[in-house]
Amino acid sequence: MTASNDELREPVRTFTFPRHTLVSLLIFAVCWEVLSNLAPALGIPPFAVPSLLRIAKSIATITPIDIVVTLARVMAALVASFVLGLALAMAMYRSPSLEKYLHPIIRLFMAVPVVSWILFAVLWFPGVEFRIGFVLVVVCGPVFLVDTLDAMRSVPRELRHMMKSFRPTTLQFFVKLMLPAIVPTIFTSWKVNISLAIRVVTIAELVGAVTGIGHQLSVAQELFSVADVFAWTIVLVALLFMLEAVVARIETRLLRWRA
Amino acid sequence: MTIAVKNGPPPIEVRGLRKVFWQATSGQAVVAIDRLDLTIAPREVVAIVGQTGCGKSTFFDMMIGLEPPTEGTLHIGDKSPHTDFDYFRGKIATVFQQDRLLPWRSALDNAKLPLELIRLPEDEQRERAMTWLTRLGLGNFINAYPHELSGGMRQRVAIARAFVVQPDILLADEAFGHLDEVTAAELRETFLALARECGSTAILITHQLEEAISVGDRVVVFGKSAKLLADIRVAQWPKEKYAILREAIQFTLQNNQADPRLAQS
Repeated sequence: MTASNDELREPVRTFTFPRHTLVSLLIFAVCWEVLSNLAPALGIPPFAVPSLLRIAKSIATITPIDIVVTLARVMAALVASFVLGLALAMAMYRSPSLEKYLHPIIRLFMAVPVVSWILFAVLWFPGVEFRIGFVLVVVCGPVFLVDTLDAMRSVPRELRHMMKSFRPTTLQFFVKLMLPAIVPTIFTSWKVNISLAIRVVTIAELVGAVTGIGHQLSVAQELFSVADVFAWTIVLVALLFMLEAVVARIETRLLRWRA
Repeated sequence: MTIAVKNGPPPIEVRGLRKVFWQATSGQAVVAIDRLDLTIAPREVVAIVGQTGCGKSTFFDMMIGLEPPTEGTLHIGDKSPHTDFDYFRGKIATVFQQDRLLPWRSALDNAKLPLELIRLPEDEQRERAMTWLTRLGLGNFINAYPHELSGGMRQRVAIARAFVVQPDILLADEAFGHLDEVTAAELRETFLALARECGSTAILITHQLEEAISVGDRVVVFGKSAKLLADIRVAQWPKEKYAILREAIQFTLQNNQADPRLAQS
C-alpha cells in the first residue's frame, strides 16, 4: 500500500506570482520608452513609436462595447466550431467510409487562405455577423475536427477493448471512454483555436464590420493614429491571454487526475 | 451488503468452434482456433493454459463476444455472447493482464463503471462499489486515482470492477501474471474465494502451470490453433502427484500432443 487516502492529495497550487513575466514585460516597456524618446534623433517619425503615456491615453478612450462584440463573436464561433468539429469527428470515427469521403474536403478547407474565405463570405452572404461567423467556423472547425479525430484514434486499444468487454451502448462508449480520454487534446485544441480565432476575427472585422476591435483598428489606420493601433493591439493580446488563462484554469481543474 | 448467490450461471457449450483471421499484408488465412469442443459446467473454475499464439486470447475475445466465430458455435446457456451482445451486459465480467483502469476516474468511479453501464441507481452503484473495494482491502483508497496506487492495488480495483455486477461468467486473462509472486498468490486466492462466493463460472487464461493447477477445478490445455490437447480434472490428482501433473502438461505443451500420463483425467 502506498499511502493513506488523506495523504494522497497534494495541495493544489492555485496561484503563482508571474515574476519572470513581469520582469520581461518591464524590460520591454523601458526599451520601448527609450526608443520613443530617441526616435527623432534616430530619424524615425515620432508618431511611429508613440510613448507609453500616449498609448495609455488611447487605451483609456477605448469603448468596451467593441471588445465585448469581438469577444462574443469569437466565443460563439468557437463553441459552434467545437460542437460541429466534435460531432463530425465522432461520426468519422464510427464510419471509416464517411471519413474517406470527408477527409479530402477537410484538407481542402484547411488549405484555403483565410483572406479567400473572407472574400467568399463577402461575396456569398449579406449579413455581417453571418459572414464573420462563417469565416471563423470554416477556419476553426476543421482544426477541432482533425485534433479530436486524431485523439480518438490514439485512445489505447487496451482501454477500448476493456470498455467493449463491459458491453456499453454506442453513446456510453463515447461518453464514458472516448470523450474523457480526449479531454487533454480538446484543451490543447481550444488554446490553438482561441489564438487563431482572435487573429481571424480581427481580419474579418477589418474588412466588413462596423463594430469590433478589427473595425476600430481600421478606423485608427484611416486616422493615421499609431497610438490607437497600439492600444487596440494591446487589448487584443490581453484578450487572448485572458481567454487562454481561463482555458488553462479549467484545464488544471478538470485534468487534476494527471500524474 | 451481503453477496447474493446466483441460482446458477448457464453452462458454456463450445462446439466445432473455428476462427480464421485474414492477414491484411499477405492476404493469408491464419487459423487461430481449429474445431474446438469444450463444455464448462456452471460454477466451474477452469484454467486454460497454452503457449503463446495458441489462440487463448482469441478464445477470450470470443467468450466476451467481441469476435464472431468463423464456424461452429459458442453458447452460454442458449445464447451467443456475440449475436446476443446486449443480453450479456452485466453478466460477463473481465479482468485483464494490465489493470486497464481509466486514469481520469478514482478507484470508486472505476469500480462502478459496469454498474453505470447497466444503469443502476447512483446510490446503489456507490454502495456496491464501496462494498467490493472494501472487501478487496481498498476501503481507505476509494478517492485515489490509478496513478496514486501500486500495481497490486490497481489490479484489486480491476477485480472489484469485475465483481460489482456479480457476473455469471468471470474471465481473467493472465490477470496475475505481471505481479510479484506474493501479491499474485494473494490476489489469486482472493479472486477464487470471491468467485466461488458469488457462484460465478470462472475461466482463467494463464501460461503459468503452477497457477493453472492451483486454481482450476479443471485445467484445459490448448495446443497450437487452440486445439484441445488435454482436459484435466485436477481433483482426480492427489496433491503429491502435482509434480507429475505439471511435467505431463509441460510435455503436452512442448510436443503439441497429450502426454499419456494425463489419460487418468
